[in-house]
Amino acid sequence: MKGSAYTLVYAAALGTVCAAVLTFAATFTKPYQDDNREAEEAKNILLALNVPIPEKTPAKELVALRNEKVQEIERGDITTYVYSPVGANAQPEAVAVRFAGPGVWGPVKGFLAMDPGLTKILAITFYEQEETPGLGGEIVKDWFCRRFIDLAIRGADGKPGIIIGTGEDAPNRVDGISGATMTCDKVQEMLNEAIKKSIVKEQ
Amino acid sequence: MTDGNQMTCGICRPKGLCGGRGLVTLKEGAWANNPLAIQILGICSALAVTGRLENSLVMGAALIFVCVGSNLLVSLLRKYTPHRIRMVAEVAIIATFVILFDQFLKAFYWDMSKQLGPYVGLIITNCIVMGRAEAFALQNPPMLSIVDGLANGLGYAVVLAIIGFFRELLGSGEILGYKIPGFTEWYTPNQLMILAPGAFFALGIVIAIFNAIKGPDPEEKK
Repeated sequence: MKGSAYTLVYAAALGTVCAAVLTFAATFTKPYQDDNREAEEAKNILLALNVPIPEKTPAKELVALRNEKVQEIERGDITTYVYSPVGANAQPEAVAVRFAGPGVWGPVKGFLAMDPGLTKILAITFYEQEETPGLGGEIVKDWFCRRFIDLAIRGADGKPGIIIGTGEDAPNRVDGISGATMTCDKVQEMLNEAIKKSIVKEQ
Repeated sequence: MTDGNQMTCGICRPKGLCGGRGLVTLKEGAWANNPLAIQILGICSALAVTGRLENSLVMGAALIFVCVGSNLLVSLLRKYTPHRIRMVAEVAIIATFVILFDQFLKAFYWDMSKQLGPYVGLIITNCIVMGRAEAFALQNPPMLSIVDGLANGLGYAVVLAIIGFFRELLGSGEILGYKIPGFTEWYTPNQLMILAPGAFFALGIVIAIFNAIKGPDPEEKK
C-alpha cells in the first residue's frame, strides 16, 4: 500500500498534466472555434431577417454576407439589425434584436426579427443553448420557431409582451413544448425583455 | 467458438501479437462480448445519435479514439496508480481524451459538433470506456490494452453504423445525406425511424440478430 503523501502527489501530478493538455488544446483550437461561432451568429441574423442565403455557403462568406446586407444600428444599450432589400425603395423589411438570458442549464441566445413598425414577430432563431436534448432543446427546431411567425407582440389590452404556454386564445400567444415548461417560461421572459426594450427605444 | 477462451490462437502463437493474446482479445471485444449487442452497454448514446449514418460514424470514431487512448494511459500508469484513487484517475484520463475530441470537432467540424450536441461530452460517463479501463487496462500491458480498446471501440462503432444505416435509409430514404437512385423517388420515409421509438426498435432487432448468430451463452447453459 502506498502512503497518503504519494497518493496526493500522484493526484496533483495527474491533474496538472491533464489540465495542461486541455489548456493547450483549447488555446490551439480557439481561433477556429471563434470563427465558427461568428459564422453561426451571422447565419442566425440572416435567417431571422429572412435574407436569402445561397445554398451551401461556406462559413466565411456568411459573415461577409451579413456585413453586406445587414445594417447595424446602435440605439443606446440595444443593437438592432436592419435589412433593406435592394430595389424596394430602401425601405427596411425587417428589424432584428438580439435576446439572451439564462435557460435551465446554461445561457440561451438568439435573434428576434420584427416588422419595421414593431407590431408582429417575423421570425426567431437560437444560436446558443444547452437545454435538455429532446425537451427544452427542441426550441431550436423549425416546428417550434415557425409558431412565432406573424405573432403579435402586444396583447389585446395593448400591453407589449407575448405568452408561450397554455391560456386563452390570443393574438400574442403560442403553445409551448410539453415537458419543457421551464425552458419556455425563460424564453418567454427573454423575448419579452427584448420586445419591451425595442418598443421603448422606438418611442 | 470452442477455442474462444484459450490463451493462444493459430495465427499469432506463440510469440505473436501480445504473446498470442491479441487476436483473442480483439475477437472478444468486437464480437463475442460486443459491448452494445451482447453486454448492452452505452446504449444511451447509441439510441440518441443514430438517426443518421454520418453521426453514427463520427460517434464510433470518437469512442475508438477515447477507448484506445484511455486504455493505453491507464495501462501505462497501472503500476503507479494508488488503488484508492484509481477510478478518479481513470475518469480524469477519459475526460481528457473526450474533451480533446470535442474541441477538435468544434474547431473543424462545427456542424457535426452541433448535431451531436452533448453526446460527445457524455462519452466520459459511457460505461464501455470506464469498464474497459477498470476491467482490462488495469491488469494488462499497454499493447494488449490498446488492442482491447480498439476491439471494444470497433464493436461499438460497427453496431452504431448498422443502426445508423438502417435508420437513415428507412427514416429519410437517403444514405449519408445522398439520395439513392431508384429508391428515394418512390420510397415514403418512415418518420418513426428517426424518432426515439425507431431507435429502440432498430437496436432491439440488431441485438436479437447478433445473439441469434452467436448462439446461447455457454455459461448460461450450465
